[in-house]
Amino acid sequence: MGIKKVGLNRNVEPQTLSEKVFFLDFMKGLKTTIKHLFRKVITVDFPFEVIEPAPRFRGVHGLRNVDGTERDDFDAWVKKLKIKPPEMGETRCIGCKFCQAACPVPEIFVIKTKKLDVPEDHPHHGLKVLDRFDMDLSKCMFCGLCTLACPTICIIHTDIYDLSTYTRRGWVLDKEMLSKIADDFIARRGKEKYDDKSNWPDWQKIWNDNDTARAKAWDNDPPQFGPNYIDQQ
Amino acid sequence: MSWVGLDKLNKLKERFDYVQINESDKGFHSVEVPKENFKDFLKFIKDNKDYQFKMFIDWTIIDHGAKADPRFQGVLILFSPEYKERIIVKTWATEETLPTLTDLWAGAKWAEREAWDMFGIRFEGHENLVRMFMWETYPYHPLRKDFPIQGYEEVELPSLNEEERADQLEGLQNYSRKHTALPTMQDLEITQKKRLPHKKSQIVLNWGPLHPGTHGTIWFLFDMEGEYVQQCDIIIGQLHRGVEKLAENLNVQQIIPYTDRMDYIASMNENHSVCIAAEKLLGIHEKIPPKAKYIRTMLAELSRINSHLLWLGTYALDLGALTMFLYTFREREKIMDIFEGISGARFTINYFRVGGVYADLPYGSLNAIEHFIKDFPTRLSDYETLLTRNRIWLKRNIGVGVITEEEVYSYGLTGAVARASGVPYDLRIIDKYDAYGEVKFDVPVGENGDAYDRYLVRIDEMKQSVRIIQQCIKELRKMSKNDPFFYQPEDKKMKITIDGRGTKLFKGEVYAGADNPRGELGVYIYMPKDGIKPYRFRLRSGAFYNLQIFPKLMIGRPIADAITILSTIDPVVGETDR
Repeated sequence: MGIKKVGLNRNVEPQTLSEKVFFLDFMKGLKTTIKHLFRKVITVDFPFEVIEPAPRFRGVHGLRNVDGTERDDFDAWVKKLKIKPPEMGETRCIGCKFCQAACPVPEIFVIKTKKLDVPEDHPHHGLKVLDRFDMDLSKCMFCGLCTLACPTICIIHTDIYDLSTYTRRGWVLDKEMLSKIADDFIARRGKEKYDDKSNWPDWQKIWNDNDTARAKAWDNDPPQFGPNYIDQQ
Repeated sequence: MSWVGLDKLNKLKERFDYVQINESDKGFHSVEVPKENFKDFLKFIKDNKDYQFKMFIDWTIIDHGAKADPRFQGVLILFSPEYKERIIVKTWATEETLPTLTDLWAGAKWAEREAWDMFGIRFEGHENLVRMFMWETYPYHPLRKDFPIQGYEEVELPSLNEEERADQLEGLQNYSRKHTALPTMQDLEITQKKRLPHKKSQIVLNWGPLHPGTHGTIWFLFDMEGEYVQQCDIIIGQLHRGVEKLAENLNVQQIIPYTDRMDYIASMNENHSVCIAAEKLLGIHEKIPPKAKYIRTMLAELSRINSHLLWLGTYALDLGALTMFLYTFREREKIMDIFEGISGARFTINYFRVGGVYADLPYGSLNAIEHFIKDFPTRLSDYETLLTRNRIWLKRNIGVGVITEEEVYSYGLTGAVARASGVPYDLRIIDKYDAYGEVKFDVPVGENGDAYDRYLVRIDEMKQSVRIIQQCIKELRKMSKNDPFFYQPEDKKMKITIDGRGTKLFKGEVYAGADNPRGELGVYIYMPKDGIKPYRFRLRSGAFYNLQIFPKLMIGRPIADAITILSTIDPVVGETDR
């Protein structure tokens, strides 16, 4: 570790007379640009060609439904918060509001649960269900703190990045919409991102290595993926 | 750690009986001096051979709340280049005034204007105490504790949609028509006139705020005599969002996404500064798992390359070399792909956490980074062939905007701007935060301090970054996949979480930061008691203080040099305005 002096006469030689007279500095520059002229095109022809976002990409949120890949402590959380045990296909959200607590802009979320209106002898008496889950994405920074806070991996980021609408109301997504987005994402790319306990597995790739559009941006010479650490497969 | 020792402070106390020492168990001791003796004390520690605190770092205010008396406290942070130490000097601002420090350090000029703008402290003897970010007729001082976080919503400002469609918008809008105060054209005119009170010639050229050459929304005023600038001033604040105010109402992990939006070109590094400061306040910085340390060092350097590439491309573009812009943006795209894969976002990254990083590296990320840095040096030499010895480049850069070593200390310049003037001020070797103590690299230092040296320094920094990344990858390859990437506290009192809920800060104060591509982003956190929200969260922006020297460099230069000087200072408006 040291100090390295840089300067015109230190690591850069001043122009010599022949360089000045014959414009060799311009020639060298032109050589470089001409060399680059014969390289392959690297720009992606959007929207006809689209780069698939990485599995970790933080796009529009979704609310996952129960599909048999919950974490082991899912039932314990449901019991703790007195939520009606969800069936297959119902939302995983338990109304704990951890996402709102973790959010830097808590007014994004409107989360409400309601008590089930059932007779006293019904097994679900006294339990709650999720009533309302609205997210105002116009205020969202897509920082990802809510998804880290979620104990049931219900709120997730999907790979959708185009969310323009004509009115501001269009940015407010309700729970049906969010569930639909998540279902669609999990069906498309769930296997890439989550293992069978909804955790991020260590084989989760930095990005899909079969993506030809991304390979183009990497000079048609994309990196070959291998393990990061010595004991990784 | 680069902090002044207790023995030196005790000697000061022996010499001046009014000095009060606030000891800190984390080692960040500060001294408190009465207002009357403040200037004498500072003169002494600036010039005395045993101290030599001649480099200005930061000068700001803490508001202790409306009930406290005296209410405001000035906090001055200085650095001694001789002994590589920092010191905090505090003084109480009785009657809401403080003596000006502009005669000791020229860098205090903008700091005092900011303190006046945000806290309403008058500095006696300041040459032109006008607001820094807000317009001149703005009635409030927003960083005072009694100013509400949402501001005073007092102006009715319907949108165009509302004007045209009136009440047919039922159900489409969900926001209030009331807004906080906005400047009118008259307000801006008053502001502009106050910034240049003594106009010297006929023409004042307005450059910006919306001009591609200013790289953001900076508004320059040039008082011109022919083609030469006689006087210059800068109006910034168009992008002021009050990050410091917002931070006072958030926990420390929630602040990190906001810092992404400050220096949006090197957001990894901005996150890094906050993490280091909070970790030092908690006393856990040394205990961060080595995996997290190496990942953070590696990605911070990758981000430095990213930022310098954008600087190089736009700088060359401004001076007329369009090709460079296209070449550097191609490489940036790869770096942003890597960031996207690792953290989930290309630009506003929010990957670092207080205590480590939020997730381990995904499969193949080290391969991708290796692939990039294997190729990058050849690209860099392409750039150098195009520019370094090109005669136009030499003519436009050599001897332009010369910054002397004294000016570096006086203005508190940091980063590549300071290093090009021959000051080897680099927090990476002074503080040795994260893994910087364990990797080998050189600090490039220039000789003349002109624009050309700043160019060479930044080019060389990219080469050094590649070296650091190579070493980090080598270390990471040796680790196990089960190694932790986030610190688990043993202490029951301490609580830090990845998602930030309940992350607590300890009582005390800290000033720490990281060396960012645009200079030192220091974070000063003041906590009167343990708690979740920081009481005062000061962001010492490198770009803000670096930009301050621009008006001085422009005096006597032709208008065309404004581009060169501004580009080599390389401010990002998100960071100057915060």
